[in-house]
Amino acid sequence: MKATVAGVGAIILAVATPAFAHRLDEYLQATTIAVEKDRVRTEIRLTPGVEVFPVILAAIDTDRNGVFSEAEQQAYAGRVQRDLSLAVDDHRLRLRLVSSKFPTIQELSQGLGAIGLVFDADVPLGGPERRLVFENRHLSGIGVYLVNGLVPSDPDIRAGTQRRNRRQSHYELDYVQARVAPAPLSPARSTIGPGWLGGAALSLLASIMFLWRRRAAAASAARARAQMPSRA
Amino acid sequence: MNRWRIGRMCGIGSLVVVCLSTTPAAAQQTAPRVVSAANAFLSTLDEAQRSKVVFAFDDSVQRARWSNLPTTMSRLAGVNLGEMNPAQRSAALALLSSVLSHRGFEKIQQIVEADELLRVNERSRAMFGRDLYYFSMLGTPSVDKPWMLQFGGHHLSLNITIAGEQGILTPSLTGAQPALYTANGRTVRPLGQESDKAVALLNSLDAGQRAQAILSFDVRDLVLGPGQDGKIIQPEGLRASAMTEQQRAMLLDLISEWSGIVHESAAAARMAEIRAGLADTWFAWSGPTDVTPGRNISAYYRIQGPNLVIEYAPQALGGDRTMHVHAMYRDPTNDYGRKLTRP
Repeated sequence: MKATVAGVGAIILAVATPAFAHRLDEYLQATTIAVEKDRVRTEIRLTPGVEVFPVILAAIDTDRNGVFSEAEQQAYAGRVQRDLSLAVDDHRLRLRLVSSKFPTIQELSQGLGAIGLVFDADVPLGGPERRLVFENRHLSGIGVYLVNGLVPSDPDIRAGTQRRNRRQSHYELDYVQARVAPAPLSPARSTIGPGWLGGAALSLLASIMFLWRRRAAAASAARARAQMPSRA
Repeated sequence: MNRWRIGRMCGIGSLVVVCLSTTPAAAQQTAPRVVSAANAFLSTLDEAQRSKVVFAFDDSVQRARWSNLPTTMSRLAGVNLGEMNPAQRSAALALLSSVLSHRGFEKIQQIVEADELLRVNERSRAMFGRDLYYFSMLGTPSVDKPWMLQFGGHHLSLNITIAGEQGILTPSLTGAQPALYTANGRTVRPLGQESDKAVALLNSLDAGQRAQAILSFDVRDLVLGPGQDGKIIQPEGLRASAMTEQQRAMLLDLISEWSGIVHESAAAARMAEIRAGLADTWFAWSGPTDVTPGRNISAYYRIQGPNLVIEYAPQALGGDRTMHVHAMYRDPTNDYGRKLTRP
């Protein structure tokens, strides 16, 4: 344990060596966004400067043992995920961590390592004209942001105007997709949630049952009328 | 047939420098002289060095092993200039010179010498300096089959895929810190033309064009730097089709600062490609529009076309953004000469 602590100490001391080659007091967070018809892939590359490395180290290595454990990596990825928001046509999308890559503490301490996180989000089907909104609030006190839309690989999708705030922590992309048929929401793809769909299904079932019972009652009444003696 | 000559050149500092001057007739025979220079370099190496320099042409790990960082951080492979004896170093630089244009070779020397100055100023022999620039090759030098030469270190990564007269320089990174220095009484700005020509183009735009070209947000670093192979971002800024003929000529002249690093015949072919896609090429600027005469800009700019991405990104590190710059040159359709090797 002592050796580990000494190792971390040595790393932090090494941070004080030449500043010329290193990113310093910034936490660069570079994001690319790839839009598909039913999915958005968000890749984020996080590069801490040597002066802010202790902040990042404390955020990831929560047990302070000098190693990024699998659980700590997952926890940090989750924290970043919670600090991001992604929406298409005002539908807030649920990000799903697809892959993560963490450099060693040694690499990160020297300002040369980058943490790589890839998130996917399913997109509900919509009309031809769509708007994506992305926001990054992760460690905004030290964050320096880049965000860019990738040229869509699907020829049916054409990216339009990109808008950002000055820091690039807020990003909007208008895009147009061709050959989209209005279709019911797919449960597998929907990010609206199973509760809403369940409610809709129950409501539909109740309506069918109500109509069926009304028809059954009407038929029964007709049969009863037919069996009654005529007063004429 | 060596109709070119190697001579002593007014090098900066004590770097072993080699100068090539080609005649128009010799320019027609670039491939044989490059192969000859490559074999001459390899022949100076011992077996152990050769095994460190030469990689398989399809070695995708080595191909992508380049960075803007000092080599102590980025762990380049190959043999560096500091590990070579004078004859080896001379042959290595002759090879590099044979692949590059006169101006391209001069620019590379100036970048290396800036790092040598950084070594002196920072007193860090381990991290900076001309000795820490690496040579490596992928494949076997050939006049008709593709092979690749890599030369790189801090602020420099040249990835040159060579096939006959073709010399594909993408992806390559140039940079400098200090981006302005004095050597032998002369002011040197390794990427000075990249700065001056860009600001001249910006200043030639009318108000409407500037409103499109100047982005409303900060771009604090390269978007498509090392490790970002294969990505194509949405273009932004002012489209060249909305420029005047003169402005388009200025844009091409600016682009030539990168496309012209390779030898003349390869540069001419590259420029023809870029010219063909010029109407769909975009120029975007982010940051201050003022510049002190004789100094570099502190703004970021990007030029992006169907087969081109150029980024110029001043860095805050070191305190003065005009004194530290990273620049990236890509062809998203043909990085590492992909077109030569894929059907």
